[in-house]
Amino acid sequence: MAGATQVLPRTIPRPAAWRRPGVRRAVTFYLLISPWLVGFVLLGALPLAGAFLMSLTNYDGLNLDYLSFVGADNYARALGDPDAQYALGRTLLLMLVVVPVGLVLQLALALMVNQPIRFSNVFRTIFYLPYVIPVVAGVWIWKIFVDPSGGLVNAALGVVLPDFNVRWLVEYPTFVLALLTIWGAAGGGMVVFLAGLQGIPAEYREAAMIDGASRTQVTRFITLPLLTPVIFFNLVTGIIVALQILVQPMLLSPGILGLNPGTVPPRDNYFYVVHAYIEIFTKQLFGYGSALLWLLFAVVLGLTVLLFKTSRRWVFYGVEI
Amino acid sequence: MPGTTRRNVLIRAGALAATAVAAPILAACQPAAKTGGSGKVVVMTDPNEFNDDDRKTLEAATKLKIEVVASNLTTLYAMWAAGNPPDVFRVQAAGVPQYISRKMVKNLQSYFANSKLLKPDDLAPANNFYKWDGKAIGTGDLYGMVKDWSPDFTLYAYTKAFDDAGVKVPSDTTPLTYDELRDLAKKVNKKDAGKRVYWGFVHSNNDAWIDRTAMNMLAEKNQTLYSADFSKLVISGNSEATKVIRYLYDLAADGVQQTPIDPSPNWMGADFNEGQIALLQYGYWFSAMAESDKTKGKTVFLPAPTWAGVRRDPTMTATGWVISSQTKDVDAAWAVFEQYMGGKPAQDRAKSGWGVPGLKSMYGQMPQESAFQKQVQKVLQGELSKSDFILQFNPYIGEETFSTSWKKNLEPALKGSISFDKFVQNIEAEVNTAIADGKRIIGG
Repeated sequence: MAGATQVLPRTIPRPAAWRRPGVRRAVTFYLLISPWLVGFVLLGALPLAGAFLMSLTNYDGLNLDYLSFVGADNYARALGDPDAQYALGRTLLLMLVVVPVGLVLQLALALMVNQPIRFSNVFRTIFYLPYVIPVVAGVWIWKIFVDPSGGLVNAALGVVLPDFNVRWLVEYPTFVLALLTIWGAAGGGMVVFLAGLQGIPAEYREAAMIDGASRTQVTRFITLPLLTPVIFFNLVTGIIVALQILVQPMLLSPGILGLNPGTVPPRDNYFYVVHAYIEIFTKQLFGYGSALLWLLFAVVLGLTVLLFKTSRRWVFYGVEI
Repeated sequence: MPGTTRRNVLIRAGALAATAVAAPILAACQPAAKTGGSGKVVVMTDPNEFNDDDRKTLEAATKLKIEVVASNLTTLYAMWAAGNPPDVFRVQAAGVPQYISRKMVKNLQSYFANSKLLKPDDLAPANNFYKWDGKAIGTGDLYGMVKDWSPDFTLYAYTKAFDDAGVKVPSDTTPLTYDELRDLAKKVNKKDAGKRVYWGFVHSNNDAWIDRTAMNMLAEKNQTLYSADFSKLVISGNSEATKVIRYLYDLAADGVQQTPIDPSPNWMGADFNEGQIALLQYGYWFSAMAESDKTKGKTVFLPAPTWAGVRRDPTMTATGWVISSQTKDVDAAWAVFEQYMGGKPAQDRAKSGWGVPGLKSMYGQMPQESAFQKQVQKVLQGELSKSDFILQFNPYIGEETFSTSWKKNLEPALKGSISFDKFVQNIEAEVNTAIADGKRIIGG
């Protein structure tokens, strides 16, 4: 067919692999999350995996020449270790006291500083301050407060009770530690609650008040239900922090050693991670100490899963999920 | 985004972590590279004992760069765990057998044999703590050296506490017995309205060295806390050991010593300087700081007490340096070590009075100007003849193992939760478990 134009099949050049939209998006995604990913691998996954491998050995932290595989021996030993059981019991007790009391205090502070009052920013700063004070300084402040000879607490109580002389860190070490922990965490929790409170639309409260609800009823039926995701978050993180407590009981111990081998807290403040620390750094049982910490991880995981299961009954996310 | 699910991200992160874990393990299986020195020597020591002038002096003398890491057991273990230990590190006598038996430190015998500064004949007796014959310390090759040392069982008396109690200050020529010491401590111990005025007798570095004190007392009867092969701590099966432990426990129960149920917020040396301790058991080194504004002219140095009439007054710390077995340049580490132990820094330390020099040839440089320094020297000369003795520390356990168990069990014992017998049983059980762990790890 003369003159007819023959249309040749045209091949569309395939773009280079890196220019394909899917690949580019994936590369961009990994580049953007790489700071977190690198941090997670180096500071999270890698030490965790290393500690797990260590828990299967007799590693003493000193010399690899004597390293040998011991299987699950360290785990079996941990399950029968009376000190570990005692320490876990004390830790759970501390958690049962510190977490609920801390949550109530954090919420109360947040409700207070959320009011439209003068100098509310000053109060927010004051309440937040303990959270940013280094833990060593915080402990020393409390040590000075409760010192039996020149401490503020005994001096204040001595005004009304002459001859009052309580050795707080000897007679009530867990009480002091609980107060210190609650005090130290209050500001951080308060800020999270405050963010939650400020995320609740004002119309909800206004509508309820127009319908005749009292302040208490607004708090009970509007504010608290809408705050349950924040309560849940603070509850989970509070439990994890309480179960891992180490530095505060060590620094509150008698003497000046602080967080060093040789420091032994009062028996009441002998918590689980303290026991693991002593096994690792005083007795140089790095393998056994790692097994203890992995068992604690299992406890934390179990409690967290339990909380997530119960959260369906009491945490209100505002949307169906 | 296709292919970028949460599951994929986690799988890839896991793979990356596994690779990162596997890499050093695989690398560790390869023969160690024989790299030369970097011209830098990492020294882990107490910054109070190694100031910037010392560093500059040693750098000038050795033409090496010195990096100082503050001495801390946790840091030391972490550096070893990371496979990057310091080239030179500070140790105390109780840790030496363990470090040697775990092959963590270099045998320095040949270096000492060829040294012009550190001649074996000139070494003070405390250096015997750094000799190891394969089974015990005291004889054999040298693995380190004391930076300085003290007969450590001597006493410091704060005379005002005695005057206040109407009690005569003990003689500085006739040693006390431990029983006399306990009686004196009770007399001068003082509280006012429940608040501490004077501790009667503070010893063993707030119990951190309690096993060393017990071992020295037992040594007067040629006994020790451990079985001959170090495989067991034996207290209840040894009547003399039980007596010594009972004595030390009773001192705590008397309320004359700082204890977990009656602690001091300070270090015992600071308490003495504040005039709050009547009798303090510390070595010669403390004389450099014993006289504070409060205690000046009211402090007397006393000879070590005796348990059974055969006085022994060795050092119980023998603080010194060793060279890591992992160092890549032993010659460089030795150069720094040798200069610190025998060069200008050693001369400066001898003149400062912060310890008896590690070399006998430097004994004459100890300060003797003030009346107190002269009195200290008079007593010290008598003690030096009793200091040529070695406390045999257990090579299977760390230096804090016994004292940690002691402190952990002392609180419930003093509060009446457990009996003295149970207190002893608990310590024996815990320390023997640690010994068994150590034996399993290093053999023997």
